Amino acid sequence: MDEVKVVDEQKRNEILNRHVELDATQFIVIQLGDEQYGIDIKYISNIIRMSKITRVPKVSDYIVGVINVRGVVIPTISLRLKMGLAEDEITKKTRIIILTLEQHESIGVLVDEVKEVVTLDEEHVERMGYEKDERERFLSGVGKTEGRLISLLDITSVLADVMET
Amino acid sequence: MDTSQYLDIFLDESKEHLQNLSDQIMDLEQNPENMDTINEIFRAAHSLKGMAGTMGYKRMQTLTHDMENVFSEVRNGTFKVQPGMIDILFKSLDALEEYVDNIQQTTEEGTNDNQNLIDALNSILKNNGEIKPLDSAASEGQASENQAAGAADGENAKQAKWQEIKISDTERMLIEKATNEALKVYGITVYVEEACLLKAARAFLVFKALDRLGEVIVSNPTAQDIEDEKFELTFSLIFISESPMDEVMAAVKSVSEIDEVYCAEYVLPAAKTSEQSTAAEEKEEEKTEQETKPVTASSVPQPTASAAASGNNKPAAPAAASKGTAKPVVNRTVRVDIEKLDNLMNLVSELIIAKNSLVAATDAEGKGDKNAVNEQIEYLESVTTNLHESVMKVRMVPIESVVAKFPRMIRDLSKKLDKKMELYMTGEDTELDRTVVDEIGDPLMHMLRNSADHGLEPNDVRVANGKPEVGSIFLDAYQDGNNVVIEVRDDGGGINVEAVRQKAIERGTVTPEQAETMTDKEVIDLLFLPSFSTAKKVSDVSGRGVGLDVVKSKIESLSGEVEVKNSFGEGSSWIIRLPLTLAIIQALMVVVGDEKYAIALGSIQTIEDVSPEDIKLVQAKEVIHIRGTVIPIIRLNRVLDIPPRENESQNLTVIIVKKGDKQAGLVVDELIGQQEVVIKSMGKYIKVPKMISGATILGNGDVALILDTNALI
Repeated sequence: MDEVKVVDEQKRNEILNRHVELDATQFIVIQLGDEQYGIDIKYISNIIRMSKITRVPKVSDYIVGVINVRGVVIPTISLRLKMGLAEDEITKKTRIIILTLEQHESIGVLVDEVKEVVTLDEEHVERMGYEKDERERFLSGVGKTEGRLISLLDITSVLADVMET
Repeated sequence: MDTSQYLDIFLDESKEHLQNLSDQIMDLEQNPENMDTINEIFRAAHSLKGMAGTMGYKRMQTLTHDMENVFSEVRNGTFKVQPGMIDILFKSLDALEEYVDNIQQTTEEGTNDNQNLIDALNSILKNNGEIKPLDSAASEGQASENQAAGAADGENAKQAKWQEIKISDTERMLIEKATNEALKVYGITVYVEEACLLKAARAFLVFKALDRLGEVIVSNPTAQDIEDEKFELTFSLIFISESPMDEVMAAVKSVSEIDEVYCAEYVLPAAKTSEQSTAAEEKEEEKTEQETKPVTASSVPQPTASAAASGNNKPAAPAAASKGTAKPVVNRTVRVDIEKLDNLMNLVSELIIAKNSLVAATDAEGKGDKNAVNEQIEYLESVTTNLHESVMKVRMVPIESVVAKFPRMIRDLSKKLDKKMELYMTGEDTELDRTVVDEIGDPLMHMLRNSADHGLEPNDVRVANGKPEVGSIFLDAYQDGNNVVIEVRDDGGGINVEAVRQKAIERGTVTPEQAETMTDKEVIDLLFLPSFSTAKKVSDVSGRGVGLDVVKSKIESLSGEVEVKNSFGEGSSWIIRLPLTLAIIQALMVVVGDEKYAIALGSIQTIEDVSPEDIKLVQAKEVIHIRGTVIPIIRLNRVLDIPPRENESQNLTVIIVKKGDKQAGLVVDELIGQQEVVIKSMGKYIKVPKMISGATILGNGDVALILDTNALI
């Protein structure tokens, strides 16, 4: 009796795992300079229009300040500066993406434009090797969709880097 | 009857009663004749007994019952209170505290009968108040470890510490089973040589040697603690074996660096089981023993007894300490779940933000029936302010709940260090946020110990220096603006700055050249570095080099600060400054450049209009002269990296802020006005500079930063 159960359990897990493997990840595609980047949708809790950012003195220059999102003060960083690009130009299309990791602490990320949502199967994603150069430090891979290439951002390592510096 | 739902109340009230008892007995020591005190003790003991009985804690009930009996006789005037009696009473209190701690952790009171205390209390009764001193084993066990022997007997008890081992029902069963199976049960106490370096390794070898002969069923300390070397020079265990005693002894002694071994046949302490079998002589062995050993020492839940003596983080509810001869007043307390309070607090925060928005909206519109709106706003404002205040008050508790245990601690320290000292406390009714009060107990205790151990000189030195023989330690608490100040002061020798300087050089903390140029204050600050202790000898009271740095970081984590005032030869005082409130403050909104900042109103003294010519340079630093004091000027735009405004020639607006007795003038461009602001955390992703204490959300939804003027001065 018990054995039958165990077998069932195993089968179930196998099926589940296969399902997860086949299941594709959704990414939000953002524009940053000339390139497009993808951010895993599971980290994104909100996308807001540009709002008043309060500068915080004596912090790293890629930290642009703090914003108010529904009564919560959230620090905001410039992804451009973090990635070594030129300073942000605020336009009508500028958005702040609110990222939330498991610890329930949020951080805002300033991007030039939010394009669309794409769904990428694992087979359409090329993973990065261990050897990453400075520019690729924050990338987890490259996704191919409709003939375009989208650099996938490794959000955890971006935020870990923010925490350290 | 299921009493579990009353457990919380029982614990709270027991602690209240125990603190009360402790206070009263302290008082009794001073005024043995005071009938009010005796009555109060009797009442507290009586309530405690009743509560313990209702909850089904028989051992606790028995002990309190015997205490109550003694007081009943004292109250009837049969005999009088004597010093020796006080000691026994305090030990009984410690034992009761241990029960309560056990109950808090495991909902069981533990298995310690404290028979020796009960005997001692009964002997007081029998001998009409004559004190028969507690036997050595009992006092040793009680005073140092709080782990009394089940039934200590006479002279060899001091060595045979295994008698102090508390055994659980499972172990009792095992022992009974073993004796029934004609196996022998031994109590063994092993003393490791003082010079032994690897105590845990030696202990391990002892265990290994014993494992060959039988089964260790319980040890004190636990196997885990022994493995972690969490024991002094001795450990005890109860051991089941078929081998004769000398073989067991020989096995233990075969391990090197073992000083002495005490071994005797273990007799179960008198308990409910009547079939107290003595170890049988014949050795009919049964192999089944191997299978029936479900309990190993490490898995046995041992009631932890350490919490009882000190460092009790759980706050005792405000105790009703009646002082002098006045009729005792019991604090009526309402216990509120702190989570609910936090929730309420958040709601109030929202309300204030809403109010601010309303203010902003009407300012911008400038139309409609303005008077009516203003009236409403004023009403809303008074409501929110009141609501805020009352919520804050609910959260505020007098620091009495933490400081109440200090007189007892000083009394014990006085005996332990053999120094005469007296603790004077004022301002116990000063109130602080509950979360802060819960946290300051340990830092304060550490500072008091420091004062008692290092601060105060030995009595003969004091007399030689022309000071009163009895040393004084003061603990003063008072409110100062938006802060609460707690000052621990002694009239001892003060900090020997030169000694600290030398020590710092010896330790390599600073180079001799650096030490040369350091001010006294900087040298004293060295004391707060981790692992810096100047105590010439390490005692178990203080001086292990951990402490002051912990004190400092604890206080800073509560957004407070520690300051030292020292006068060599006359004593030192340690001043802790803590913020009164944590969540909502009254602030002055100012503009620097085009940015808005909030400054806590509590730190602001005055606002001055200063003409640029009045600013003088002293040592290349800008100062102003105001009403006889020279105050340094801090230009906020420079500190905050804000480009200056053009109109430099105009008069400057200078906000004079204070921190303790220091002052500074902050130059701002504009004043907006006073506002209640809700302090918001800025998250952990960015490390904000120290001068920013947080952020707040303004009426228009913008975020403004709050300046911590203390960090600027």
